[in-house]
Amino acid sequence: MTMATQRLSTLFFRHAAPATLLRIAATSVLSLALTLAGLLAVTFAMSALSPIDPALQQVGDHASAATYAQARHALDLDAPLPERFVHYLDRLCHGDLGVSTATGQPVLGELREVFPATFELSTIALLLSAMAGVGLALLSARWPGSWIDSVIRIISLLGSSVPIFWLGLVALALFYAHWHWAGGPGRLDDAYEYTIDMPSGLVLVDSWHSGMPGAFASAVKHMLLPVLLLASYVLGSIARLTRTALLGELHQEYVTLARAKGAGSSWILLHHVLPNCAGPMLTVIALAYTNLLQGAVLTETVFARPGLGRYLTNALFYGDVPAILGATLVLGIAFILINGTTDMLVRLLDPRQR
Amino acid sequence: MIQGALRRFGYMLLGVGIVLPISPARADTPPGILVVVQAMDDLVSLDPAEGFELSSEQLFGSIYQRLVQADPADPATLQPVLAASWAAGDNGRSLTFTLRAGATFANGDPVRADDVIYSLSRAVKLNRSPAFILNELGWTADNIDAQLVSVDATHVCISWPASVSPEFALHILTTTVASIVDKREVLAHQQDGDQGNRWLKTHSAGSGPFRIRRYVSREALVLDANPSSPGVAPRIKTLIIRNIADAATRRLLLEVGDADIARDLGPDQFTALKGKPNIRIAQFPSATVCYLLFNTTDRSNPALANPAFWQAARWLVDYRGLAEDLLQGQFSVHQAFLADGFPGALDDTPYHFDPARAKAVLAKAGLDHDIDLTLDVFNEEPFIDIAQSLQSSFAQAGIHLHLRIEAGAEVYARLRSRTYQAAWLYWIPDYFDAHSTASAFASNPEQGSHTLAWRAGWSIPELSAETQQAVMSSDPAERLRLYRDIQRKVQSDSPFVIALQQRSQLAMRSNVRGYRQGLDADMVYYDQVTK
Repeated sequence: MTMATQRLSTLFFRHAAPATLLRIAATSVLSLALTLAGLLAVTFAMSALSPIDPALQQVGDHASAATYAQARHALDLDAPLPERFVHYLDRLCHGDLGVSTATGQPVLGELREVFPATFELSTIALLLSAMAGVGLALLSARWPGSWIDSVIRIISLLGSSVPIFWLGLVALALFYAHWHWAGGPGRLDDAYEYTIDMPSGLVLVDSWHSGMPGAFASAVKHMLLPVLLLASYVLGSIARLTRTALLGELHQEYVTLARAKGAGSSWILLHHVLPNCAGPMLTVIALAYTNLLQGAVLTETVFARPGLGRYLTNALFYGDVPAILGATLVLGIAFILINGTTDMLVRLLDPRQR
Repeated sequence: MIQGALRRFGYMLLGVGIVLPISPARADTPPGILVVVQAMDDLVSLDPAEGFELSSEQLFGSIYQRLVQADPADPATLQPVLAASWAAGDNGRSLTFTLRAGATFANGDPVRADDVIYSLSRAVKLNRSPAFILNELGWTADNIDAQLVSVDATHVCISWPASVSPEFALHILTTTVASIVDKREVLAHQQDGDQGNRWLKTHSAGSGPFRIRRYVSREALVLDANPSSPGVAPRIKTLIIRNIADAATRRLLLEVGDADIARDLGPDQFTALKGKPNIRIAQFPSATVCYLLFNTTDRSNPALANPAFWQAARWLVDYRGLAEDLLQGQFSVHQAFLADGFPGALDDTPYHFDPARAKAVLAKAGLDHDIDLTLDVFNEEPFIDIAQSLQSSFAQAGIHLHLRIEAGAEVYARLRSRTYQAAWLYWIPDYFDAHSTASAFASNPEQGSHTLAWRAGWSIPELSAETQQAVMSSDPAERLRLYRDIQRKVQSDSPFVIALQQRSQLAMRSNVRGYRQGLDADMVYYDQVTK
């Protein structure tokens, strides 16, 4: 451990005993498993009780009665509801998420293709928005009420209140269609799109490894607008909530003491207040991440990027129960992991929470 | 090593930095490649025995061929494709086809009588969505093998138990479900006795002008030209169909030049594209017909079973306002069930919007009181707009429509269980023969399939018999006469108000030439396209 990381860890993780860590981890894992089981049961019940008939959806309205009956049987729709759920869980335990009724392809394979796309987009957008958001919040808190604060408040409000769908179309019309600064819909230019293999599903990684000059640049060009758009979508909430937390902390007695000892405002903000706001900041950023993972659907639609959000929306439209359950499961696991990790980190960071 | 990677990354960033601000967008798609953008999320399967969605139907014509197909220039005329000729049997229940000499599949395998037999029998036995079309010939999984006989390697005899004419059977054989697949290739990819179905969902084994190079589910389909395709030689090398879910994005791609053809645009997109340089808007007839349906079995509203109410409803649709103002030419006024362009279609439009006349009809029948109805509508445009127009025009005669806007599957589930009052629907013929549509609108057999007439609860033993007589007749002129008569009866007195026929519009770059499209969904021809 270098000096810097040692300092950082003592600054944040104060006096956490190994037994406490273990207890926190164990309770978190148990609650994760219970939440996941509940999530599956609720999703299954909702899909099964929805008025959309998946068999009719699959075979169409003109198909014969025999074809319809055959499809119902193939989709396990003729079994009682609890039995279907048991069948589903049984297959799930064997790593089988079933076959999509809309595409006839294994759900696991489809999720393996779409999840990395959403993960990549959301993670880059989150990193960008977290850095920019916290930076803006610090500036706002350093000079509250000043013109900088007002400008930042307007930027934050715009980011979170303008519909992302509209903003996406306007951005495409200006930066792609009019000025040609950014790539258009899709993940790559047509010249690379169907020639590059995508083993990882992460377009930046795969285009980097493709060995084709220009492929990586094309991937970055196509990623610019959706990433900036998604980042602006959560930037507002991160900046505003972090600013509130920072300002709240600035009224604490320890700040007055530091000031009395002669510390400068910026020093106090960065070295005393910011570490104490780590808990709320983490929560805000985690919330933003979950929002990005599920909220990327409109961005994925406008920018024609195949991702989890669009996959789930399509599955819902088609009453494709195995796909809905599979996508919900992945999203659920992601949410639970993010929330669980955040929860654990917050408890570790703040001794009062243990 | 790390330093090397870092240096590479640095160069790459530098490259990106230089490329980004100055690289101009391409003015056109690469030569030899045609890029089509459309909504393709509905695509279930590219197996011709299974796919029956609009997207797959539009593609099958490019990937597979049938023994006979509609002539692109005149769909009422049939032309031999994988067959060289055919002859009807003496009993009027069979056809013997001579296969085209030297015809091969895209992989080089010869097209044999065995492939024809396998393809038809496979489609019947798999029994997926479009199998009902082949069932019209009386074919079932149990009897199909006896109906298909290989005379020798180049002759195949096809017979059928149903009482239908050879002319009708030929039309059935033009449908995409009757596409000929390469038996050897398909069986080589068979898994767990699935007749290669899983593989064919995303691959091709046909003889059409294009073959599938790569299908990326929900993203794109890349097709390579098949220069050996019998009878056609595609002029472009590659056809890329991209799934772009949003219509406004499709328009942008076309305007910038990253797409050559854009499908499924809305009226506002066409308005915006009109007059743009390098963009051409093409219009093609479509066999889609829109109509209003009433459920006469609904006990809570006896007016629905009253022919006077049906009659009044015909005067309460603002046909012209819908077609010209609301839908801006994407639909035309059409009041018979056979779409304009089908042999035998009626093109007269005896009804127009006349609320006073509707009121008089209702008053005469003692229905001059407020009537409340639920109207089921698909949750898609333009249906919601149309339903709102109907709501206001029907209100002028005291008929209050309450809209129930739902997903397609929900509306169909209500129709099938007859738990609706009124619905605004559309009809697309399943094959290019009048019987496809007539058997839905004008036939309600005692213990038969649940046709549209059944869904309306419309008891019509005589009309059903006449429809049956029309399909059995082997005299083409007599058939047309019968279908005209049946259409008149449905037009003047039925729980259907047929109102509009769709016009299919698409936008393309002005350098794209040779694109053709016919009335039916599967009549989409990319083979003669140049750019």
